Amino acid sequence: MRSRAMGFTAIMAASALVLSACGADGDDTDDELVVWHLETPPNRVEALDALAEEYNNGDPEMPVRFEVQEWDEIYSTIAAAASAGDQPDALFVTPDLATYVRQLGLGAPVTDVVEGLEAEHGFIDAAIDPYRDDEEYWAVPLFGMVQVLWYRGDMFDDAGLDTPQTWEDLLEAAETLDTDEHSGIALPAGQNQATDQVLYSFMVTNGAADIYTGDGEIDFDTPETVETYELYDELLQYSPADSGNYSWGEPQAAFNSGSAAINIEKGQYLTPFEEETGLEPDDLGCAPIPTPETGGQPGSVYFSNGAMVLGEDEDRTAATDDFLEWLLDTENYGDLLNAEPGLYLPLTENGAEESDWREHETISTYEECVDVMLEQSETGELFGFVDGQYIDDVGEISGQNFIARAVQEMYVNDMTPADAVAAAQEQMQAAD
Amino acid sequence: MTWSSGLRRVPAGLTMVLITLIALGPIYWVVVSAFKTPQEIIRPTPTLWPQTWTTHNFSRLLETTPYTTYLSNSLLVALGTTVLTVVLAVCAAYGLYRLEVPGSGMIAGLILVAFMIPGTLLIVPLYGILSDIGLINSLAGLILVNVAFTAPFCTWLLRGFIMSVPKEIDEAAAIDGAGPVRTMFQIVLPLMAPGLATAVVYSFVFAWTEYVYATQFILDDRLHTLPIGLSAIVGQYTIDWGLVMAGTVFTILPTLILFIVAGRYFVGGLITGANKT
Repeated sequence: MRSRAMGFTAIMAASALVLSACGADGDDTDDELVVWHLETPPNRVEALDALAEEYNNGDPEMPVRFEVQEWDEIYSTIAAAASAGDQPDALFVTPDLATYVRQLGLGAPVTDVVEGLEAEHGFIDAAIDPYRDDEEYWAVPLFGMVQVLWYRGDMFDDAGLDTPQTWEDLLEAAETLDTDEHSGIALPAGQNQATDQVLYSFMVTNGAADIYTGDGEIDFDTPETVETYELYDELLQYSPADSGNYSWGEPQAAFNSGSAAINIEKGQYLTPFEEETGLEPDDLGCAPIPTPETGGQPGSVYFSNGAMVLGEDEDRTAATDDFLEWLLDTENYGDLLNAEPGLYLPLTENGAEESDWREHETISTYEECVDVMLEQSETGELFGFVDGQYIDDVGEISGQNFIARAVQEMYVNDMTPADAVAAAQEQMQAAD
Repeated sequence: MTWSSGLRRVPAGLTMVLITLIALGPIYWVVVSAFKTPQEIIRPTPTLWPQTWTTHNFSRLLETTPYTTYLSNSLLVALGTTVLTVVLAVCAAYGLYRLEVPGSGMIAGLILVAFMIPGTLLIVPLYGILSDIGLINSLAGLILVNVAFTAPFCTWLLRGFIMSVPKEIDEAAAIDGAGPVRTMFQIVLPLMAPGLATAVVYSFVFAWTEYVYATQFILDDRLHTLPIGLSAIVGQYTIDWGLVMAGTVFTILPTLILFIVAGRYFVGGLITGANKT
């Protein structure tokens, strides 16, 4: 009996010990700033932590600590934190996430900071416009992301094809390169953000970037949008048969493995290209998103990634502003951008040339493609934020992937492009 | 065994082979891919066996990610959850189904109701509670939340085992002078070993694979558990397939070992827990 009782006591003591050991956390946040970011891959976490350490070594008013959060969970995490009054001092956001965070009652204007940085570094319009509402800026832009056309130079050379510049060129190239050995193109057609973004890039080039009327009503079902879906439908004929499940990773794997010749995506294609393909960097072709033959315009989906200031204490807010200004200083900006070289693009006018961003091996190796992305950035758009728009509830539309859902209707259920777009219009109106 | 009876077993044997292939196929694929080069992993014509064996993915995993930190956090959470769950579930099950304390029927019902509430509905209130008691962003908080889900199920699970032990044994023990606690530890508990093993496996695997609460309540990268670490490798826009495969192998290994050791108890235990009256 005694040994059993002692065993029970030992178990309870062990439990208490485990719990007390687990209770030791890093939550000493009173004298340090906590910044949440959503850049989960280990290389990005390491690079951002190194930046925080460098900032802290400069003996700032308040040191900074990054905490990484999951993209898929951030909407519920920040809502829970807000309801508990436990939000971080700053949060990395995209424009549509920023609208959601503001609806939670969080976020302080950062107009003075943005205007100061604008005077010093100069922002491209696509970087700051999505964060302007009520004559204030609500996030400090940090880095941009844009989609361009990627193609296998080796396959194009073998087929004697030139770089596609128009939709017609693109269709011709995809058809020509669609052989027994590889698909002409790899397009995502899953119900996800990857599909939303690739299709939206084509919509931008066809003058269908704005899916809202001037009054903020849904205006998705337009002839230009239908034309864009028709193009996508045709291109999907030359995409692998399992495209209906594709998101971001699968088209890139198809491209690098040589089972697809063309992709549309962002700059994450640079870093793994040589290792995964065994080819030379010159074999990676890139170009702006092809445009329609008539009435087209250069353009692509563009994400300005920024940081919102969420703290309510004046001293902490000032300290957060100081840190964000430090990040955009040309001395440090290269290190921020090279947390994911090629994917993170500078969005200040002097960020590309005056920082040491271009010295990174990936950026210097693929200099031409990097310049293509920078040029494409200047024509970038994002629905809900076109031409100075600021749609408060754009998250209701972007979060439910209606654009991709219409692609699925076309690809999986054989709906015509016109019917798929009309259905998407109805769904968006119902959700709006 | 006659020729005809052997023939009759062929369909069953073939079905077992097929089901085994379906069940183990993905695991085989992940394990084999973890030893391939990045080029070979994404090759359009897949290879069943690595053409060039490499441990590069594993070394990169250990060198470039805080995998060992995630591993130790997961072990701590899983062990903490398991110990607390088993202790609480045994005590609760014994009290409710053996001693039949007043109101035990209603309490047992309430426990099952608690188990039925969808977890996602509880994120915001739980966040508030953990924040108020200073357990947000701590592994202790995560353990407590896990136990809140595993203990009710395990209590119900142990019901069948407790009820399968004849009450006459308790009476005999009482005649010999044993009190309720001694009877529980010395008489009933040893007879429930398969049930305890089932509860251990269930709560360990639950805590080991739990993702939603770990992402919500753990904010510091240094406290992340394996499911979050693995998910982080699959970042938005980029997937490092080699790291994902190596990380998956390391992640499933402990549960695989646990199932090899205690798997037969687990399956048998679930059936017993569900059937005994």
